[in-house]
Amino acid sequence: MATIAVPLGAQAEQHEAEAVRRPALSEYLRWSVDHKIIGVQYGVAAFLFFIVGGAMAMGIRLELWTPDLDLMVSGSAYNSLFTMHGTIMIFLFIIPMWAAFGNFVVPLQLGAKDMAFPWLNAFAFWLIPPAAIVILLGYFVTPAEAGWTSYPPLSTLFSGDGQTLWALGAHLLGISSIMGSINFIVTILNMRPPQMTIWRMPLLCWAVLATSIIAVMATPFLAGALTLLLLDRVAGTTFFDASGGGDVLLWQNIFWFYSHPAVYIMVLPGMGVLSEVLSIHCRKPVFGYRMVGLSSMGIAFVGFTVWAHHMFTSLQPELRIPFMITTMIIAVPTGIKMFSWLGTIWGGKMRFTSALLFALGFMSMFVIGGITGVMLAALPFDIHVHDTYFVVSHFHFVLFGGSVFAIYAALYHWFPKVTGRMMNERWGRIHFAFTYFGFLFTFFPMHIVGMLGMPRRVAVYDPNFTDWNQLISFSAFVLGFSTFIVVYNVIHSYFRGPIAGANPWRALTLEWATTSPPPVTNFTDDPIPFEDPYGYGTEASAAYLDAVDAAFNGGRPAADGS
Amino acid sequence: MAELTADTLHAAAAHDDHGHISEEEHNNNMKLGVWLYLASEIVIFSIMIVGYIIFRINEKDIVAQAHDELGVGLVTANTFVLLASSFFMVMGLRAMQQGNRQGMLRWIGLTALGGIVFLGGQYIEYSELAHLGIALGFDDASAWSTFGMRFYAPTFFHGAHVFVGVLWALEVMRRGAKGRYDHNPIGIEMFGLYWHFVDVVWIMLFTLIYLV
Repeated sequence: MATIAVPLGAQAEQHEAEAVRRPALSEYLRWSVDHKIIGVQYGVAAFLFFIVGGAMAMGIRLELWTPDLDLMVSGSAYNSLFTMHGTIMIFLFIIPMWAAFGNFVVPLQLGAKDMAFPWLNAFAFWLIPPAAIVILLGYFVTPAEAGWTSYPPLSTLFSGDGQTLWALGAHLLGISSIMGSINFIVTILNMRPPQMTIWRMPLLCWAVLATSIIAVMATPFLAGALTLLLLDRVAGTTFFDASGGGDVLLWQNIFWFYSHPAVYIMVLPGMGVLSEVLSIHCRKPVFGYRMVGLSSMGIAFVGFTVWAHHMFTSLQPELRIPFMITTMIIAVPTGIKMFSWLGTIWGGKMRFTSALLFALGFMSMFVIGGITGVMLAALPFDIHVHDTYFVVSHFHFVLFGGSVFAIYAALYHWFPKVTGRMMNERWGRIHFAFTYFGFLFTFFPMHIVGMLGMPRRVAVYDPNFTDWNQLISFSAFVLGFSTFIVVYNVIHSYFRGPIAGANPWRALTLEWATTSPPPVTNFTDDPIPFEDPYGYGTEASAAYLDAVDAAFNGGRPAADGS
Repeated sequence: MAELTADTLHAAAAHDDHGHISEEEHNNNMKLGVWLYLASEIVIFSIMIVGYIIFRINEKDIVAQAHDELGVGLVTANTFVLLASSFFMVMGLRAMQQGNRQGMLRWIGLTALGGIVFLGGQYIEYSELAHLGIALGFDDASAWSTFGMRFYAPTFFHGAHVFVGVLWALEVMRRGAKGRYDHNPIGIEMFGLYWHFVDVVWIMLFTLIYLV
């Protein structure tokens, strides 16, 4: 058994600097068809939107510091604030952020030179800035204020022109998402080198494949619904207006037929990231690799059968129980993943890197979000806490405790590959501590105020909840502050971080079997994947990793197989 | 595996043309991409089609009245034109596969012409309907108005696809005239997939809206 403990990023820093060329910063600001450039473009743009959406969240918490209306001029202003917060975080941060990691990492993990459709890839990214501008322009007319779910008649009869712009922008983002996903599916199915069989694919690729299938099949529902909404708003039709022969529930059904699967668009890639990070940083094979890959597909499939659990209070009563059952069934493939992660870290040789800390943070938080999900699926309980802060707490545990923690884990894990430099681990741990406790004390108390009956989407609340809300707001500001730590860490590490070398984590997947950052064609020769992408702890894997180190020592391929 | 070296880590430069994928791989990618795109299109059409079906079930009288007024003469001719253009499309691809560039241009030209005739027929039909007072918007005074939006939305959405198809056909002709497809007619094949899809959607709409 070869020794596995390796100093992080310590290989041969003396040769690195001149050998590996990083793309100039200006290359990120213009049209490029290189998937690595596009990945960074997605990532930086999404992170900027995260900061904008986060600032809005701070505004929401500031308003809720007191039970009265103080920061906002009116309830409508508060409505548009949380509408924009939700829209930006979902459509402009989380979904594009996964496109960022998918773009950068997936072709490298497959051993491909690029995505299947490089031009389409760039086009999908460049749709995002105009879409964001269209959505944000709503602020200069009458802003959208129907929530990110945009239920009619709020979004048709009671909302201004900003709602029209919102729908147009969401349309553009949907088109971008569909094009990006078609690209991922074709790349993953068709662009694998012969040795990269489907059962040797890293689990991030499985997750991105499942995510992309959902996006291609579900996003058009959003497009169809938005088209009808736009017609209602602009052309005078009454698809969603019962007084004109339309049906209000039509929107809710179509919208959630997209948006429930979209929840898995937002979290499945994070689950893929988790399998990567836990396995690599605990030096253990993924427990139940095939079941984890297939459970992604299972989630993708079952995710289409649960949408009406968002409509328990508006649905025909006889349909409630079937949707309650399907919703509980989807906990099974999710549970498979959770037990796989536990099995993966069990007895592992854990290295408590920032990436692993955030991955463990995901596990602890997502399991809470998952359990409250099953609670909400239970009809009697759901009717009780419907539209309260319990629901807000649930989906933030899934989307922040899940997706965002996984995004941070992915950032610390792949930053060395993207930039060629390591992130600062000490600041990473500080960032983790602030994020973890800030998050926990922001969102856990929301369960309690929710069960006590505080409704969501209100700026004025019962003064009895003031203490809880001040605790929540204070913790939210701590959470907001934690973002500055990671921004500082990224900028500082980009210029001053230790040189990473090709494979700082001694990982077996193919993105590490090339220089950091990779050359334009990704690999100088066709790479050969190791027989098992997670086969850590064997002599063969140690020999493979030594060969990678030898090959890329100093960033140069070894001259003659030394 | 234990004696792995850097040599075996990288396959010797067997594929010296790396950076480019083979023509067959390229064609497969393009076709799969178009299929996935069409799958997403099916979803959008299905929303409007299902919306119409529900209306058809609930409002039998309005639909029966609409059928009396509309007639199926014009739209049947139009359907025939669209079906014929799909045949021209197949012949165009066949001509190119046989290396007959001029034949391909003629057939694809006929395909585009079929699309244009179809759009003209749809325009005539829309004007007739407008005279009958069937509008897109809702109007309390008209019993038609709940029919109007459910009729125009899918048929106009389909018409927009025919329009895009005509533009695509002209682009295929422009590229084809330059000899772009002489060795690899994948571009024509992709357009063909789209055009046949638009045709099949129309058969669904024609059956559901005009016949049933």
